[in-house]
Amino acid sequence: MSRVRYFGRRILLSIPVLILGGTFTFMVFRFSPIDPAAAIVGTAATEEGVAEYNRVRAELGLSQPVLVHYRAYMVDLFTLDLGQSWVISQGTPVTDLLNTYGKRTLWLTFWAVLIPIFVGIPLGVYAGLHANTKVDYAVSVFGIVWRAMPNFWLAIILLAVLSQSESLFGFDWGGLVVETSLIGTPDLSNLTSVDGFLAATKRILPPAIVLGSASMGSELRIARTAVLETVNSDYVENAKANGVPDRRIVWKHILRNTLVPLVPTVTNEAFLLIGGAVIVEVVFGIQGIGYLFFQAALNADMPLVTALVFVFIVVVVCINILQDLLYALIDPRVGYDAR
Amino acid sequence: MERNTHSTDAGTRDEQPHSRDDRPLSDRVAETPRPAAVWALGAAVLLAVELGDIADAVLSLGGMAVGAVAFGYSGTLSLVSADGPVGLLALAGFGFGLFVAGLGVATWTRVRAVHRVTDRFAFRTRQVLDGVVFGAAIAVATWLAVTLGVVDGLAAAGGAVQSLLGAVADLPTLTARETIPNQGYQTPDGTWHGTFMGLAPAYAWALRVVVVYVYTAVALAWVWVGYLWYRAHYRRVDWTPRDDVVRRLRSHRWGQFGMVVTFLFLTMAVFAPSLATTSAQQNLYEPFSHSIQYYDADTDSVRETLVGTANLQTQSEGYAEANFGPMSYDQYDRFHPAGTLTNGKDLWTFLAYGARVSLVIGLLSIGVSAVLATVFSLFSAYYRGLIDLVLVVVGDTIMGVPRLLMLILLTVILSDTWVAGLYNGGILLALILAGTGWPFLWRSFRGPTLQIAEEEWVDAARSYGQSATGIMRLHMLPYLVGYLLIYSSLILGGVILAVAGLSFLGFGITAPTPEWGRAVNLGREYVASASWHISLIPGIMITLVVMGFNAMGDALRDAVDPKSDDGVASSTEADARGGGA
Repeated sequence: MSRVRYFGRRILLSIPVLILGGTFTFMVFRFSPIDPAAAIVGTAATEEGVAEYNRVRAELGLSQPVLVHYRAYMVDLFTLDLGQSWVISQGTPVTDLLNTYGKRTLWLTFWAVLIPIFVGIPLGVYAGLHANTKVDYAVSVFGIVWRAMPNFWLAIILLAVLSQSESLFGFDWGGLVVETSLIGTPDLSNLTSVDGFLAATKRILPPAIVLGSASMGSELRIARTAVLETVNSDYVENAKANGVPDRRIVWKHILRNTLVPLVPTVTNEAFLLIGGAVIVEVVFGIQGIGYLFFQAALNADMPLVTALVFVFIVVVVCINILQDLLYALIDPRVGYDAR
Repeated sequence: MERNTHSTDAGTRDEQPHSRDDRPLSDRVAETPRPAAVWALGAAVLLAVELGDIADAVLSLGGMAVGAVAFGYSGTLSLVSADGPVGLLALAGFGFGLFVAGLGVATWTRVRAVHRVTDRFAFRTRQVLDGVVFGAAIAVATWLAVTLGVVDGLAAAGGAVQSLLGAVADLPTLTARETIPNQGYQTPDGTWHGTFMGLAPAYAWALRVVVVYVYTAVALAWVWVGYLWYRAHYRRVDWTPRDDVVRRLRSHRWGQFGMVVTFLFLTMAVFAPSLATTSAQQNLYEPFSHSIQYYDADTDSVRETLVGTANLQTQSEGYAEANFGPMSYDQYDRFHPAGTLTNGKDLWTFLAYGARVSLVIGLLSIGVSAVLATVFSLFSAYYRGLIDLVLVVVGDTIMGVPRLLMLILLTVILSDTWVAGLYNGGILLALILAGTGWPFLWRSFRGPTLQIAEEEWVDAARSYGQSATGIMRLHMLPYLVGYLLIYSSLILGGVILAVAGLSFLGFGITAPTPEWGRAVNLGREYVASASWHISLIPGIMITLVVMGFNAMGDALRDAVDPKSDDGVASSTEADARGGGA
């Protein structure tokens, strides 16, 4: 099967996933034990309350027959008409909420992907090149512990440590480089100015380190194994025998082949980032998508919750397609007869 | 070709002449009875010292089973007798359930009523008819049992067994808190009253912990000895592939670390009542229905107070005056190995029982999702085509929703249903975890199963006329068991992590049922204060347990499947992280 056909097949397969995902959110919306309208209006005791309840029901489409409602719902979803929030931010369209909250989460995940790549992979490669030395053991153990630590726990520990940084390390984190507070939403309005960028970056660093902790651990481990495998492979031996300088071997022959197993790792971790974002954003008080989802679920804002879930499904499908694309670009040997 | 040509395994085996090493195990034991007798004696002693606890466990399991049956019976009855489409639907479902049960009985017992009577129909039709016949037989037998009063007789017999077990359960056990009590009070002359041999509570508790761990270690070692003796004296062959697995495990340091941690954790969960300083009922669930004795210096007398009242005085709130850290006594002479919580309850007791909750949820969810994943992977590998495609799409969709968000969503929308009431939300959580977790397992099984399905022996079995389910069960499933162990172990850590993360956020397990994540959340504000222990200790324990299960999974993978490429990120990798918790 050619590369293009393989890729086309993957994209084709994502369509039923999207449809099924949309159907799932519809089922949650329509048939879950929580009545969205009742959650919005509250207990309707008075006559006005009942009238209001019925009005909301009608507006949400719940009074339509199931199939009619399903069709309208799915058409809305796939034309990206995601409706509006009803409880936590009444009347705001979901797309507007995504716009404001989404930027912060993007900023957070951007750093949470970047930090592990630029810390974990070099560490792993270093450990792999110096296998079975003390440094290797230290780095490997660090990676394992770092990966096993729950995000929520790491987050509160980091918060506590940084809030006491003056007495613990002798410098004040809050006043370091630029003045920032530890908890709260980073200000992304003037990223283009130096101060604004520094402040926003510094603000996001602790949560991004926490969010990227698991990825860093895995990337470290996988980079180490991949290096070990390539170091012992024939072509590296061969290059060595031919007198290729060490530096060139490392950069050209080892690192390049190490990247292959790392691609699915990085994209796989993107999965975790969305889930982990809920916890990290709640602990660090960042008003991002995860925080929005948490609040929406807590307050049973079902229209918002279901819309967000659909958005997440779309995002994950896109990540998967990206992964396949990257895979195909980096390693042309990938089995396209993927069953 | 006629489909029913395959004879039963037992039949063909009986026709072969007995070789020396081909006799049943009982004969081989009879020949050299000594090791077996010694081992059985040791096992009996080990069981005898814990007989009370075992009887207790059987009793509560039996109670649960009886409750579940009664609930199912009354539920079915009310559903079937309901009016309108619900009743009809329930009746149809009930009938189908009976048919499936009948089919199951017919398959497993290999008793075939219709086959015996006639062969006028095709093999498949006869199989279906067998299901109908046996299902009807079950229904009639149950109906007869109810109307003829056999059920009452059974209930009476059950009651007798229950009271007998109850008497056994009252027997003292080696590891019980009552055997080595650690709760007492100290009079001004320094002597302790009510504790084991007048020891200070800390030492009495430590002694009990040592006894528990020594007991479990000895029991485990005895099982190992039994395996070695079996290998040396009774096994038919000198070598099996499993020996290599064991050999590889023995030289796997990282895996041994995992096994030690897993052992510590499992013992903690199983022996929670013995390891805790007080009972969960007394300290966590109903502190205002239990009382303790303490020595009051003001009135120079021994007084009694409610545990709840005492707890209010022993809260850890971050500053030195209101903090009970690890290894400390409070003013009621209670010992707190890990300090107290913000609400004054004992953190160690909370952790011990929390381990139990985590383990129950973990095992239940893994069990359910492993069954689903195994069945699905067998079917999709055997039939391929449409069934595989449907499973790929469904699995991708479930995995497409970020795990933690899916868990939050489902726990929220199902929080008002009756399932959420079982085990304080634990059962619901386990089912949700299983329902959203099987695609991860299935993805990991799919590759190996597809390979197995292409093996020649599967083709051979098919050409012999073996039925599809028979091939899957006898010729494919055994090769999956190794993978089942590996990935279950890897995922168990993730499940514990996810449950802790959910309860950290306030979803899932409801208070006062202990869950490690909730302790972390309670101590959130106090990490940088005197009461650091509230968050730190549970967090370290979660980290350790997750590491332990990961290590064991890695070791099993290296041992069972040494050729496997652990550099490749599998979909389990994501799940082993608890969806980002």
